[in-house]
Amino acid sequence: MKTSKAVPAAATAFAVSLLVACGSDPAGDDGGSASNGETVELTFRQFDPADQIQGLAEAVESWNADNPEIQVSLETVSPNNPQQFAREANSGSGPDVIHMALADVAFLAEPRILVPLDDLLSSDPLDGADQLLATDMTTFDDTTWGVPWTADTMALVYREDVLADAGVDETPQTWEEFQQVAEQITTGSDGEVSGFCFAAGAQQPAAQWFAINYYLWNHDMFLIENDGTGWQVGVTQDELAGAIDYFNEFFESGVTPTSMQALTDYADPAIAASLDDGTCAMTYMPPAAFRSVRDQIDAELMTAPMPGGLVDGSSHLGGRALGINANSEHPDEAWAFIKYLMSAETFETYSQYPASAQTLTELDVDPTEVGFVEQLPHSVPFIKYTDAPITIASLQELINQQFSAVYSGQTDSDAAAERIISSIERELQD
Amino acid sequence: MSATTGRRGERLQPYLLTTPALVIVALLFLFPSIYNVVLAFQSLSPFQAPGDADWVGWRNFSRVIADPQFGGAAFNTVFWLTLVTVVLRLIFGIALALALHSPILRRWKVRGLARTMALLPWMVPPVVAVAAWRWILDGNSGVLNQTLESLGLIDSGIPFLAQTSTVWWSVIAIIVWRELPFAVMVLLAGLQSIPDEQYEAASLDGAARWRQFLSVTLPNLRPVLTVVVLVTVIATFNNFVYVWLTTGGGPGAYTAVLATELYSTAFFANNLGGAAAIGLIMTAIMAVFAVLYMRATFKEDAQ
Repeated sequence: MKTSKAVPAAATAFAVSLLVACGSDPAGDDGGSASNGETVELTFRQFDPADQIQGLAEAVESWNADNPEIQVSLETVSPNNPQQFAREANSGSGPDVIHMALADVAFLAEPRILVPLDDLLSSDPLDGADQLLATDMTTFDDTTWGVPWTADTMALVYREDVLADAGVDETPQTWEEFQQVAEQITTGSDGEVSGFCFAAGAQQPAAQWFAINYYLWNHDMFLIENDGTGWQVGVTQDELAGAIDYFNEFFESGVTPTSMQALTDYADPAIAASLDDGTCAMTYMPPAAFRSVRDQIDAELMTAPMPGGLVDGSSHLGGRALGINANSEHPDEAWAFIKYLMSAETFETYSQYPASAQTLTELDVDPTEVGFVEQLPHSVPFIKYTDAPITIASLQELINQQFSAVYSGQTDSDAAAERIISSIERELQD
Repeated sequence: MSATTGRRGERLQPYLLTTPALVIVALLFLFPSIYNVVLAFQSLSPFQAPGDADWVGWRNFSRVIADPQFGGAAFNTVFWLTLVTVVLRLIFGIALALALHSPILRRWKVRGLARTMALLPWMVPPVVAVAAWRWILDGNSGVLNQTLESLGLIDSGIPFLAQTSTVWWSVIAIIVWRELPFAVMVLLAGLQSIPDEQYEAASLDGAARWRQFLSVTLPNLRPVLTVVVLVTVIATFNNFVYVWLTTGGGPGAYTAVLATELYSTAFFANNLGGAAAIGLIMTAIMAVFAVLYMRATFKEDAQ
């Protein structure tokens, strides 16, 4: 009898000891305390690619040099993986300060794994807090869970000389004009130059998602909308089929090479190479990708607002926010560090646009980046789609897949539009 | 008293010795498997703690099966991803194993080099292999298109990964190229275990090469082939990397497979319960296959 109990007991004890050994320490557990005169050690996790954060690394080094009592280690986990942070935070660990895509703040706020910032904002206010952009993306249940840090949008990236060769002096202002100009460039070059290059892959992250939404928003169409009574599809089948036809026409007319249908990234080497050799006239990119491509190729690139980009609400305001892990044992020190990251001092070395209306207007940007700066004040965050029963990521996957199905001839625009709408309706009902 | 204690100790010894291994197996295999079953009946997002899950009964399964994309993904998984690639690997695997087993290679003293070369694709990490193949197959600047154009075989680049007529064959080429060495090495080991006397006897009976292959080689390879088929089918059926990195399921959802649907459900729709349901369905399909396959194999062996 004793024997039969002893074996499982030993096994349980062994299992428990393993679990205890595998358990992770809460954030900052061994970080000391500034109030005790010891050095506080914070971890700041960011997700932008390592080649885009040299300026940020310098800013963190500068903080560490000036604040020996609060030392910050910069951790890069790229690409963005909010689920990983959630797993860590839900198990009592994770970095102290977390870098979030604006669209992810609500996901992390809902399970309460971030520190509510309202008390910190009132006790130790942030300079220019009233000038911050996209604060509706960092507010959930009337509580502030993050502070918008950087802002970006997609601007039209083009070869000025290639447009000039086609007799185009100004970038197109509307989507209809854009299509005409792109066709003019391609036909004028006997098909040698693609008027418009864009990553039209079916994959969820494919960049075509942004252009499609810009087109829809500029024509007062939204995939989903909440009229106060509940979520519903915000576009008719005919309207959506029209949008699909618009983008498919670039492939039908030969303005965009079919090979673009296999691409995902706006800065795919194939796009960068064709911009470089002049076989691509126009595309679109966010600022970081633009700088990366601009620095890699010999050709001179320019930016301009997207078609309709100067119309309020016709482009998206993306960007990053900063938050504090609910497990952090040093929220006050983390807040002090966040205030530093939000300051003009950080942006002296970190080449991103601050998510502040005031700072944006004072920016002295490179002339080639004028398109971003002109468009940003008119851009709006994806707030229209947040909090819906269907995630933005799922919408993105659905749209990219169905548009791609039409480009590749698997279906027509009406059937694809019908499928998009029925899929959204099913998700909204669930 | 001491004799009794000694006997009890002897009786306990096997249990005590195997307990650590059983606990590790339970922690690493049994617990995740049971938790996956539990999760399939719950609603949980990747942002929530497991304790926040709600019970939803069979809803995850009904939603998965009602998804119009599920049927296509299941067909793609069974036919294109698994059946076609496994059959091709068996055909090419046997051919390459026979070539590597050839006495000519030994005579030329290149057998070791040839076998090392045959293993090379397996040494390349799948991510690197897919990246290289994407570059080879690129519709504009890909090496394959440039070669075909320079030979005058095509006028303009073929977007292999963007058109339905070529995309599955492109994915299959990548999988077969990368995974072929496993089949080759196992089959080669099987070939080496066949006694030369059997070939000599067959030769004396007047059997030609093809007859020797059918009557000596294949029957002797049966046990090895059984293992190769079982292992490659299960590994390929559950594979996510090749399709995801090559096409992401596109164009449209033309190359979507169950593993990519599982990933999308878990991390784009934030529905871990739905993903667990897909995983459970995949496990059930493979379990049924394994049982039927092993039963058929053992039955033939018994006969």
